[in-house]
Amino acid sequence: MTLVDDLASAAATGNTAGVEDLLRRGADVNGVNKYGRTPLQVMMMGSTPVARLLLARGSRPNVADSSTGTTPLHDAAREGFLDTLRVLLEFKADPGARDHFNSRPVDLARQSGHDDVVEFLKLLEEAN
Amino acid sequence: MAQGASFPYEEVAEIGGGAYGTVYKARDTESGKFVALKSVRVQTDQDGLPISTVREVALLKRLEQFDHPNVVRLMDVCAIQRTDSETKVTLVFEHVDQDLKTYLEKAPAPGLSQDRIKDLMRQLLCGLGFLHSNRVMHRDLKPENVLVTSGGQVKLADFGLARIYSCHMALTPVVVTLWYRPPEVLLGSSYATPVDIWSTGCIFAEMFRRKPLFCGESEMDQLGKIFQVIGLPSEEEWPKDVTITRKQFLPPNHPPITNFVPELSEQGAELLLEMLTFDPLQRISALNALEHEYLKEEETADTEGSTREGDAIP
Ligand SMILES: Nc1ncnc2c1ncn2[C@@H]1O[C@H](COP(=O)(O)OP(=O)(O)O)[C@@H](O)[C@H]1O
Ligand SMILES: [Mg+2]
Repeated sequence: MTLVDDLASAAATGNTAGVEDLLRRGADVNGVNKYGRTPLQVMMMGSTPVARLLLARGSRPNVADSSTGTTPLHDAAREGFLDTLRVLLEFKADPGARDHFNSRPVDLARQSGHDDVVEFLKLLEEAN
Repeated sequence: MAQGASFPYEEVAEIGGGAYGTVYKARDTESGKFVALKSVRVQTDQDGLPISTVREVALLKRLEQFDHPNVVRLMDVCAIQRTDSETKVTLVFEHVDQDLKTYLEKAPAPGLSQDRIKDLMRQLLCGLGFLHSNRVMHRDLKPENVLVTSGGQVKLADFGLARIYSCHMALTPVVVTLWYRPPEVLLGSSYATPVDIWSTGCIFAEMFRRKPLFCGESEMDQLGKIFQVIGLPSEEEWPKDVTITRKQFLPPNHPPITNFVPELSEQGAELLLEMLTFDPLQRISALNALEHEYLKEEETADTEGSTREGDAIP
């Protein structure tokens, strides 16, 4: 296990203290684990503190899954985690990104019935 | 069981490495959604998979047919033969991207509302009652295994390898994280479904405290911490078949439970103590806990549609 493997696992389990510790020990926030994914791509979507920590330390917000084109914003929208979605947007995640099924985050939120997320993304679109 | 059929799941990170095998967060490349993969390596002979494994998988599939709202969905079971003598069985579960630990950490001060706690407890007990009435015990309930969707729905995970239990089953050493472990397991006595109620009691207290109730550093320390809260049980209550004796503990002068769990109402304290009862046979069951007065009534009137309140935007 490399430091990035550990960092990705800590992010995926929502272990904020573990993420902080691994970053302090020099784990690369934009490195990939042995499955080819960055910590932000695999983080526990409900863990807003982990999202904020990784992004504040320079994690690239728009890395898409190599197989499906899914970005973290797609995942947050589909799972309905509005608070994490807002943090991702604050750090310049792209709400217009399309996955390999040609869906945007707002489309996935609508399919999953997360009305609050849909509403938020639509307001954002109108504002821009 | 699908044997070597299509396997559209790609592992993206390791999320657990228990005694039984590794747990992965993975992506279903056909739907784009996350799943949780739990793999177990089993020894096989010319007759194929061992009967115990087949039986466990059959039980899980039977449970799945009830579509219970408070346990994670089992989406698929795959068996892939690795060698002549080994087969990898992979259980594919619905993935829920938040656990109760994270949910509690995220709750803004002063913590969850009384009604939110009641709602979470009802759902947790409902899932547990369902497992217990199907003769499945969880054995490792802890906040990490209690998942909470963005809509506030509780789903229990990690009961995948719970065995069909007979009334009192043989002891296996590595079960239940120390902090949520009941006295009968710490003492090395026999155990059954009441273990899960003990763990649920610990989680109930943690919802108020937002930190664990009993943080023991060893099994003896854990027992000592428990007796400081529930009192030292009498000689009659002490199990006969164990090597640890009652005399190894000081009879502590234990303060009322509400010292450890402030904000708990009288009825809440009563339910908590019924869950943290030393004697597993006297401990309340999941179904009776659901009928307890504390969970029957709402704290306030305006609780309709409040399932999202814990996720309110600050
Ligand atoms: N269906 C699931 N969805 C999301 N996370 C899960 C799921 N199942 C398990 N996990 C997470 O993975 C962690 C480890 O898995 P678990 O099944 O508890 O395995 P073990 O106890 O054998 O390590 C759990 O603590 C839980 O947070
Ligand atoms: Mg577990």
